[in-house]
Amino acid sequence: MNLLDKLFEKSARRVAQNSSRRGMLKALGAAMVGGATIPLLPVARAADGAAEAPMRPGEVGDPTSCDYWRYCAVDGFLCECCGGSVNTCPPGTEMSTITWIGTCRNPVDGRSYVISYNDCCGTTQCGTCLCQRDEGDRPIYRADKSNDVNWCLGSKSSIYHCSTAIVVGMAFEE
Amino acid sequence: MILRPILLAASLVCTAAGATGSVESQYDTLGINPARAKFNYQMLCQGCHIPSGEGGRGVPNMKDQVGYFLHLPAGREYLVRVPGSANSALNDERLTELLNWTLLEFGGRSLAADWQPYTTADVTAARQQPLYEVIEHRRLLADALREQGYPLTD
Repeated sequence: MNLLDKLFEKSARRVAQNSSRRGMLKALGAAMVGGATIPLLPVARAADGAAEAPMRPGEVGDPTSCDYWRYCAVDGFLCECCGGSVNTCPPGTEMSTITWIGTCRNPVDGRSYVISYNDCCGTTQCGTCLCQRDEGDRPIYRADKSNDVNWCLGSKSSIYHCSTAIVVGMAFEE
Repeated sequence: MILRPILLAASLVCTAAGATGSVESQYDTLGINPARAKFNYQMLCQGCHIPSGEGGRGVPNMKDQVGYFLHLPAGREYLVRVPGSANSALNDERLTELLNWTLLEFGGRSLAADWQPYTTADVTAARQQPLYEVIEHRRLLADALREQGYPLTD
């Protein structure tokens, strides 16, 4: 009995010495505020609703180079060079909801993926990393398969800034 | 206290699994290959109708809406006669598959339990009369459907 008393006394004293009375409140508050802030970061929002990303294909190559695999049908400035990324718009621009869609072959697994070239709109042309690979581009009379269409028409501002290249699915091969 | 969120999560998972099961069985019945239909949707429709089918800025919303058109013969033909369908690069079989997949995927509460899927013959016939005055035609259809009590939005 004496031994148990001592054991509990010792552990109770250790807790009292090593923790403050409001420590629990502090940790809980930090977790709540911190957790609520993460979705407010611009990166998380920019990717929202643009396109589902069902899988992560193997990656190889430099996303600031026109030769990067996802850019096989791109026609425009790379957001990766303009303060955004291959998946996200630069701060201060809005991602167009309507978009040009094509397929590109991934050199890692040799499979084709569906790529959505969502434009970022709202500020003047980025002007760096202009790429025109245009694979699968069709004349304007097939408007849904023409990348000369200004896809920023689907945004609040129709001023084109740069292009993303988001993987939205896998190509179906018969 | 901890049990409640776990139970809630479990019930949500069950609901989702149930819904997917019924749609999948309809894919089988109708001979739809969902991977192929989804790919064709992504390549030919999603650019404007967006992944959720909701459209926006001049592009009609299909989510919880598209099924209402089946309540009128002219509405049923309309979904085949719109430029995106009638002028698409798909053959009649693939277009039929894509239309039925679209109804199952986006129709939601607008799709009646006893809805009649498109047959290839339906699509072949309606596709011969592509629409020119699409916006006006849709407005007239929407008015007629709203008169019958279907809550179609613009």
